[in-house]
Amino acid sequence: MKTYEVFLKRPGKDPFIHVGALEAPDDDLALSFARDCYTRRSEGDQMWVVAREDLLVADPVELEMADRPHRHNDGALLRDLRQAGDQSAS
Amino acid sequence: MRSWDSMEDFEAFLDDGGLVEPDDDMPDAYREAVFRFIELHANSEYMGGLTERDWIAKAPGLTNKLTALAKTQDEIGHAHLLYMVAADMGVKTRDEMTADLLAGRTTFHNVFHYRAYSWGDQIAIAYLVDAAALASQQAVFKNCSYGPYKRILRRIIAEEGFHMRNGEELLLKMAKGTTQQHELMQEGIDRWWWPSVQLFGPDTRPDDVLLRWHIKSERNEDLRDRFVQKMVPQLTAAGFTIPDPDLHQDPETGRWVSGEIDWDALKAAIAGRGPDSARRLNDARLAWDGAAWVRSALDEAAAVPA
Repeated sequence: MKTYEVFLKRPGKDPFIHVGALEAPDDDLALSFARDCYTRRSEGDQMWVVAREDLLVADPVELEMADRPHRHNDGALLRDLRQAGDQSAS
Repeated sequence: MRSWDSMEDFEAFLDDGGLVEPDDDMPDAYREAVFRFIELHANSEYMGGLTERDWIAKAPGLTNKLTALAKTQDEIGHAHLLYMVAADMGVKTRDEMTADLLAGRTTFHNVFHYRAYSWGDQIAIAYLVDAAALASQQAVFKNCSYGPYKRILRRIIAEEGFHMRNGEELLLKMAKGTTQQHELMQEGIDRWWWPSVQLFGPDTRPDDVLLRWHIKSERNEDLRDRFVQKMVPQLTAAGFTIPDPDLHQDPETGRWVSGEIDWDALKAAIAGRGPDSARRLNDARLAWDGAAWVRSALDEAAAVPA
């Protein structure tokens, strides 16, 4: 038996979302089992089923450290500048 | 791989709303406790699915048979999802979990250790047991710290919602039915009221790790109390009685107060000494053995090189 991961896209603009896993002896049955387990009520209009061994998995610690302050703008400076502008105008 | 230097760090992460994922280096005690909880849930869905299956042929009328069929698929589907999530924790394989369940080495919910004799019982299960199970699951979902379990619970809860609605529909139909139907329903309520109340378990102990580690989000006694407050008025309004002679309304708060709960009955059921435990487990073994040819066909298919 092989383990597969199942991804569903709901109708509309949502991206594909991982919904769970299953075990199956081969790819055809994996697709069939995925339909039985995850789309009994047409929960998706598209489905990807991927063998777990074929997934490339990133290190969560690296992902967590990828963030940098200079890649964000929370608008605080802009707010201050606008306020300063308002005060000097009045 | 994420890891934590100490249990304090790990608990701070959980208190902060952190979600634990399968590849994380979680503390062994957490892994064990969460695994056992999910395994119990998976076993219960599986045993529940088998009971539901018995009613596909027996349910009155095509609509009820179709509903029984859909519910059976849902329950067995839930067991599939949960066994996958449990197996990914690396404590036991799926085969080991199945073997343990069938040998009576692991447990499943008390309510599946009783016999459903009539259609009235089956409705009482759909109405009372499903409502109790759903309330417990919602409380887990709300604050669940184990990512894969939380995500799978969202789906399970949505489907259990259908079941509960169906249970209430059937109950109200019986309430408006003939005297005979009313009596059949009352017998069902009489048989299933206490097991449903006991499903929530005894009062949560102050040192319950499931609460501390954000698997449970509410205490058993609070969930149980809410169930009683909701069910007593609904059943009474539909013209039924509750099989608890000591049940009364607190004159000051207006809240319903149950009589004494027989926790020995709960312990006996879970330990496999319930009124129907032996037959239920035997049924599960028969189902497992009966499907041996499917498993061997799958193994043969898996052995064929692609």
